[in-house]
Amino acid sequence: MTALSRPWNRLSLAGKIILPLVAVLIALNITLVVLWMSGLLPFLVQAILDTLGANIAILRFLLAATIILLITVPVAFMNIFFEMKLIAFVNLRIGPNRIGPWGTLASVIHGLKVLAKEDFTPRGVDVPVFTLAPAVVYLASVMTLLVVPFAPGLHGYDMDIGLLYFFAISGLGVVGLMMAGWSSFNKYSLLGGLRAAAGMISYELPLILAVMGIVLLSGTLNLNTIVQNQSGSFLDWYIFQQPLGALIFFIAATAEGSRPPFDLTEADSEIVAGFATEYSGMRFGFFFFAEYVNMFILSAMTAVLFLGGWNAPLDLAPIANALGIATPIDIALDPGSMGPGLLWLVLLAPPLIVGGLTAVIWMLKSDWSIIVSAIVAFVLFNLLVGGGVMLLLAMGIDWVMGLVWFLGKTIGLSLFFVLMRATLPRVRIDQLMGFAWKWLVPAALVNIFVTAAAIVVLHEIGRPL
Amino acid sequence: MSSPLWYVLGFAFAGFTFVFMTIGMSWLITHRHKGDRHKGMPYESGIDTMGDTWGRFGLSFYIYALLFVAFDIEIVFITLWALVFQDLLLGGFLSMILFVAILLVGLGYAWRKGVLTWK
Repeated sequence: MTALSRPWNRLSLAGKIILPLVAVLIALNITLVVLWMSGLLPFLVQAILDTLGANIAILRFLLAATIILLITVPVAFMNIFFEMKLIAFVNLRIGPNRIGPWGTLASVIHGLKVLAKEDFTPRGVDVPVFTLAPAVVYLASVMTLLVVPFAPGLHGYDMDIGLLYFFAISGLGVVGLMMAGWSSFNKYSLLGGLRAAAGMISYELPLILAVMGIVLLSGTLNLNTIVQNQSGSFLDWYIFQQPLGALIFFIAATAEGSRPPFDLTEADSEIVAGFATEYSGMRFGFFFFAEYVNMFILSAMTAVLFLGGWNAPLDLAPIANALGIATPIDIALDPGSMGPGLLWLVLLAPPLIVGGLTAVIWMLKSDWSIIVSAIVAFVLFNLLVGGGVMLLLAMGIDWVMGLVWFLGKTIGLSLFFVLMRATLPRVRIDQLMGFAWKWLVPAALVNIFVTAAAIVVLHEIGRPL
Repeated sequence: MSSPLWYVLGFAFAGFTFVFMTIGMSWLITHRHKGDRHKGMPYESGIDTMGDTWGRFGLSFYIYALLFVAFDIEIVFITLWALVFQDLLLGGFLSMILFVAILLVGLGYAWRKGVLTWK
């Protein structure tokens, strides 16, 4: 073991990643060549294709699981970058600006750094529980993504009890935090874990009770149906029928994701790093990976439940039809509908735009000649037009626009979470607990009964929902 | 295969695989040193750990857990009630008011006793 581990430890980080990859690739190549030489490859490919065709359900599951697990990585990096850059702007700093354009790759480097750190197990910890805890915390947040409707027809699984499933699985996060706090053999960790448990179970009540208003109105727990019920203009979104519910849900979601100002579980001025005090390396990394994924999921759920999910705020097609204006999609599919305008577009727009771009590039890059600027501008113009046409064609497919609206709302809410961290001071633990039990739970109950009473009254006067 | 249970269990398995593959990969590429006895000590602000860690802690955590159980059961009932409320209407409304009122008496008692104030 030592004979092998000494040269291994001497390798650089890149070497440690590349060496196993090279070995795997060589093995794959040898297998492929052997299969090809022996003439088995066509049979094997045919057999694989047949198996896949016969098992579409399994294929769909594998695809969904892979995509959902993999999108958590860029989502977490994006949220970490927002947090670094936006808080820097609030503090009148520049923030990350070295790696990648505007420092966008700084969070990726942070992730790689955590991956390359020593993963140390201190003395006295309960090793199996200590190792399982980050996995439980991460799974409790990522498994809820299975029911989130990203766009029309784009979801992990269209579950009839989607809302119940979401709360059931996200409630399991408490177990992971308690496991981490208890197994760490550290008093700060124990206190952090208990605080996390007390806070999360207290805020779980208003979180679920606030959504009951929506269940009353829609009569379903299926998230896809809830989103479809909000289609139309933005006035049909549930935030206008349930303003109190939306407020309670958002506050409780902040506490559930242990985001500031309710991040008592990792209050570094009081209990070091809370339940994560004894963790290092990738096991520590997964706690914060889970936290940023959680932030995305809670924003997504707020968007789905109260802000209409993938519905556009205004349905433009009827308005455009009433005014007789062709929408961009129609123009892309049928350019002839533009009439003489098309002639102007084809004859005048290209030289004008290329000329304008040339002037701008020539002024910005003082060491380029005007011919080089013109060539660059021409390439840039072609790229822009190509991209624009592709975008218009993509807009014809409804799930692309649905995804754009959904992500827009979700990222907007994530930015709001970050701004809350930048502006609000952390509350005290007694304020946190008292607020949940003395204000949010009664307010959520009032919200439920006012909604129920409104439904009864509407039904009595003959205008049921 | 297309039942939700298979999806959930399979997804949990895939997630566990993802987590432990990542941890295993990090285990492959990192340096590991045993260190001396100070390295493995629990970090309690630099002071040697004193007393029993897995010992006693505040009673208030238990009381919040008890209250939570009571209200969580209530949520189970409210969820089902809300799901079919459009058929129940006035009768359902009145019975749920009665049910929640009984629970709120309990919450009021706890409030009066000062349980909800963190000590």
